[in-house]
Amino acid sequence: MYDSIISVAELTVELGGNPVLRGLGLTVAAGEIVAVVGPNGSGKSTLLRCLAGLQPATFGEVRVFGEPPVDDGPFWRRVALLGDEPAWYPGLTTREHLELMAAVHPRTRMTVEAALEVFALVERADAAPLNLSTGQRQRLSLAAALLRPSTLLLLDEPERGLDAAFRGRLADLLDAYADEGGTVVMATHDQGLAARAREVSPTGVTA
Amino acid sequence: MSGMTESGVSVRSVRAFVRSRGRTRSSAGDRYVTAFCVAVFLAVAGEPLSDVLAGLAGPGDPARMGAGVALIALAVAALLGTARAVGPVMLPGPDASWLLLSPLDRRHLLGRTGRALLMASVVAGAVLGLGMLAVLGAPDQLVWRLLGALTLGVFASVGGMALAVLAQASQSWQVWLTAAMVALLVLAVVAVSGQLRTVPAIAAGAPLQAVAAAAAGAAVISGLLVRQAWAALGRIPARAVMAASTRAGHVASAAVGVDPGAFTWIAEDNYWRARKLGSRRWPSLPAPFALAWQDWRRLARRRGRLAAILATAAMPAVLAQAGFAPAALGAAVLAGGLAVAASSVSGTRRDGDNPALARLLGVGRRRALAARAALPALLSGAWTALALAALSLTATAMAPGAAGAVVSDAVADVDVWWLFGPLAAPALAAGALRMARRSPVDHSLPVIETAGGAIPLGPVLWAATGVDVAVAGCLPALIALAFPTPEPGALLAAQAVAGAAVLVGYVWRTGR
Repeated sequence: MYDSIISVAELTVELGGNPVLRGLGLTVAAGEIVAVVGPNGSGKSTLLRCLAGLQPATFGEVRVFGEPPVDDGPFWRRVALLGDEPAWYPGLTTREHLELMAAVHPRTRMTVEAALEVFALVERADAAPLNLSTGQRQRLSLAAALLRPSTLLLLDEPERGLDAAFRGRLADLLDAYADEGGTVVMATHDQGLAARAREVSPTGVTA
Repeated sequence: MSGMTESGVSVRSVRAFVRSRGRTRSSAGDRYVTAFCVAVFLAVAGEPLSDVLAGLAGPGDPARMGAGVALIALAVAALLGTARAVGPVMLPGPDASWLLLSPLDRRHLLGRTGRALLMASVVAGAVLGLGMLAVLGAPDQLVWRLLGALTLGVFASVGGMALAVLAQASQSWQVWLTAAMVALLVLAVVAVSGQLRTVPAIAAGAPLQAVAAAAAGAAVISGLLVRQAWAALGRIPARAVMAASTRAGHVASAAVGVDPGAFTWIAEDNYWRARKLGSRRWPSLPAPFALAWQDWRRLARRRGRLAAILATAAMPAVLAQAGFAPAALGAAVLAGGLAVAASSVSGTRRDGDNPALARLLGVGRRRALAARAALPALLSGAWTALALAALSLTATAMAPGAAGAVVSDAVADVDVWWLFGPLAAPALAAGALRMARRSPVDHSLPVIETAGGAIPLGPVLWAATGVDVAVAGCLPALIALAFPTPEPGALLAAQAVAGAAVLVGYVWRTGR
């Protein structure tokens, strides 16, 4: 078994010869919400990609659930990652994307109807995702990530395109997720979201 | 002054500015090299070309004329369809973003594209004219008939392109373009059914005066269309040019490989954007099949497209009537099957391009691939079975000894022939899935110098990815189709084993 959900030690990542992360250490316990903050180019997204097993470390160690993260089916059944906008399947509506998510994950955290309600997508349920506004598409992505069961939620700038009111609601939703025992690591520029989490800077200085 | 805007800046001066700052200025040396290459090409290709032209002398084969006319009509329809899918008026990406949304005169900005389209349609028209002459034959005065055919072909093609440009500029011309394409398809069907046998025969033996009159008529009509199109160039909405310009990159990448799905990628997104959809409950299936259901639902929502795909199963039979060799027919059937399979793996392609949703869904790769192989296998199996059945029927229907009866009598007697379709389907599905999952072209691979010219390894390997697996899995069927035998039992058994083995092997290996 593992003591912490995430343990990162001496993580160094170089991209094209430039060090993006240097000697980063991070430990995240179950039920924690961690906000990775910092200016553009400080390595927030790179850290999330390392945690998701999508970016190999140049030096150092990354462990998620006690093991190095691997980009495979069993890993993604425990981890939900939301980065850039996903490519929506052609010919499916907003509701059908969520139903597909529910059909693949037998024990969802909420019903499709509830997700449409919570993420204010009821009126656009029959629209193709490409016909939604940027903020609505981000809400759909978040709905898909929070509808499915997971142990660890990795979010890269989840506030992208969201209005101020919904950002507040998102913070509540993440709190509820953590109360159920889930762990959240998010890269964010939103001070409201960061204020309700443990703030971490990729340079290794924890707040 | 024309070409000048209110601010007094002309398109020419902007282009000159961009050129002077660019790194890709063509020098006199570059132009000399280009001219030299063209001259060498003409010198090398001159003799084979003149042999081909000399071979056109003599009357055409009446038994092949119907199918030949159908193929030409289909080629023109395909040309119009491609022009519409591409734009046809588009700009290079930087021009589209920087110059289009500016006060510059739009007709002058798009003039260069217009000239390129004209050149392209002249070349396509020349090929079309040669095809026409090959079908109808030249019983006398080859040179004049060749000139007549080339003129007709070029004016038809230029007129068609002008129509496509007009369709991009206004909705009412769009209707005319669609009508022209439908008319060509109807003509193809009628020609191949043999209803119009006398018409091509009359055209083949038409006196030179009639050919000249037809060419003059085509010239007048296409001239009028080109004049209209030139006038419309300034009225094409920026939105249409922008959409075509972003699409151009995708079309170029799709044209390099046999990837009909990618050809329609943006067109597909636009199609769904413009449609009103109604959500339907997702069936409760095991997770991998629930994931794969997306392709089935997409197909069910495009029934017209499904019907069109199934209708193309008649194409190999048309090719057989036009006198193609058995090996070419076999390759056409399997290539068609692969294209059909590739049109139903959009989920795999989306996940290959951007795996974010696949990661959220969290279905294992092997199980997802296995479930997603079912639809392409079913579709390509049905398509190849239909195509092979139509080929057998054609072989039976054609009189023994008639030209075009290339699918041997032995094949016509064997009614299990269509079985190769379903048996090759798993291999075709594996090929289509591999095509959908291939990564972008690796341009870092070396260019190999051979006696026949330089071969860029990256694009070649990219284009071969997917086709390789399909060919390996369809080898028994290919052999059987190229060298028809009266007893294909052993090859059928071999095909069953090869098809299944390739799909299982591919899913097992790739899904790790």
